[in-house]
Amino acid sequence: MPTSQAYPDPEEVLLLAADAARIVLESGAETYRAEETAQAVCSALGGVEAECFATPTGIILSFFGQDARVRSIVRRISKRSMNLERISRVNKLSRDLYAGSLDFDGAAAELGRIEQIAGYPLPISLLAAAMGTGSFTLLFGGRWNDALVAALVGAALVGAALVGAVLSRLTKELTRRRSSDFFTNIVGGAAAALACLAAGRLGLSTNPHTAIIGVIMLLVPGVAITNATPTPATW
Amino acid sequence: MSHPLELLWAAVGAMGFALLFGLRPRDIPLAAIGAILGWGSYAIATESGMAAAAYFIAAALIGLWAEIAAVIVKKPASIYIVSAILPIVPGGGMYRTMLESVNGNLQGSLQAGFETLMAAGAIAAGLAVSSALSRLLSFNSIAKRLKPRSKR
Repeated sequence: MPTSQAYPDPEEVLLLAADAARIVLESGAETYRAEETAQAVCSALGGVEAECFATPTGIILSFFGQDARVRSIVRRISKRSMNLERISRVNKLSRDLYAGSLDFDGAAAELGRIEQIAGYPLPISLLAAAMGTGSFTLLFGGRWNDALVAALVGAALVGAALVGAVLSRLTKELTRRRSSDFFTNIVGGAAAALACLAAGRLGLSTNPHTAIIGVIMLLVPGVAITNATPTPATW
Repeated sequence: MSHPLELLWAAVGAMGFALLFGLRPRDIPLAAIGAILGWGSYAIATESGMAAAAYFIAAALIGLWAEIAAVIVKKPASIYIVSAILPIVPGGGMYRTMLESVNGNLQGSLQAGFETLMAAGAIAAGLAVSSALSRLLSFNSIAKRLKPRSKR
């Protein structure tokens, strides 16, 4: 890359980098990945020095451009939902920017496309939830009937969550009063446990505890466990 | 391993969660192989009497597999780790901890809570080791990529 190359507007680069970091955090990535993404985007697009500090709830990014002026931006993260494809695409975007096979406009357009990536449609999500909870119940020592109960309850739980998400998107006022993850987990966990215990009482499930464990895997933050891993770069 | 079908359940369960996490179909088999590796090593190690070490070994193996897959397909390793780790996440332990404390059984709750904490710590340590190893091995290439930018 020649040194006389015209770099894109530093303000735009800062916004692009902050957006890239925001998208990976919102999709459930580790904080160090968000930091590295923002820094990689900045330095690939003319940043002389870029520093990013990210936590699961926010990003602070400062950018020292070719014009020797310092700019910075703060972004808060309020919504989070797992989407591994988004993380993988943003990762590719920062790699491509670095390799020079993608320019600023291309990156901005690709980031817009990445933001549009949604999860799988409802029927596939329901099937996936049933697969996940049913097999985990078998794995944790449940019998076939326990697994069947877990699969049904798991699918119902995910279905309720997705329908709830669509409803709150339709009624904009509800999203402003955002319900906390904590509350969602308590209500979801209670409903799941009630359903499994009821199935046990009715004789549908031999060991309702294994069914409950299978279903609450949907609520267990496996992401939080992997993200709790200390940043390897700081070791 | 108490039952060979367990490997199938681990794989199917991980695939279900991978779908829920929006993983694309071409990446799902890699996550499923990670889950089989993880659960298989966990089950074997548990049977030979290593309780906390089983989690560490399984997590480290999953991490290494994901790092290898990541280099080959050029995607971040964590997208495979997140799904493959789920079978060994001590969901049952967390449940038992809560159940015992709600029942007022302090001893049982502490016991289950301690085991769960050990398991979570061992998983985090296993993943950290595999991730640090892969960073160490690819450090030179990263440093080479980072260097030439600063010519101004």
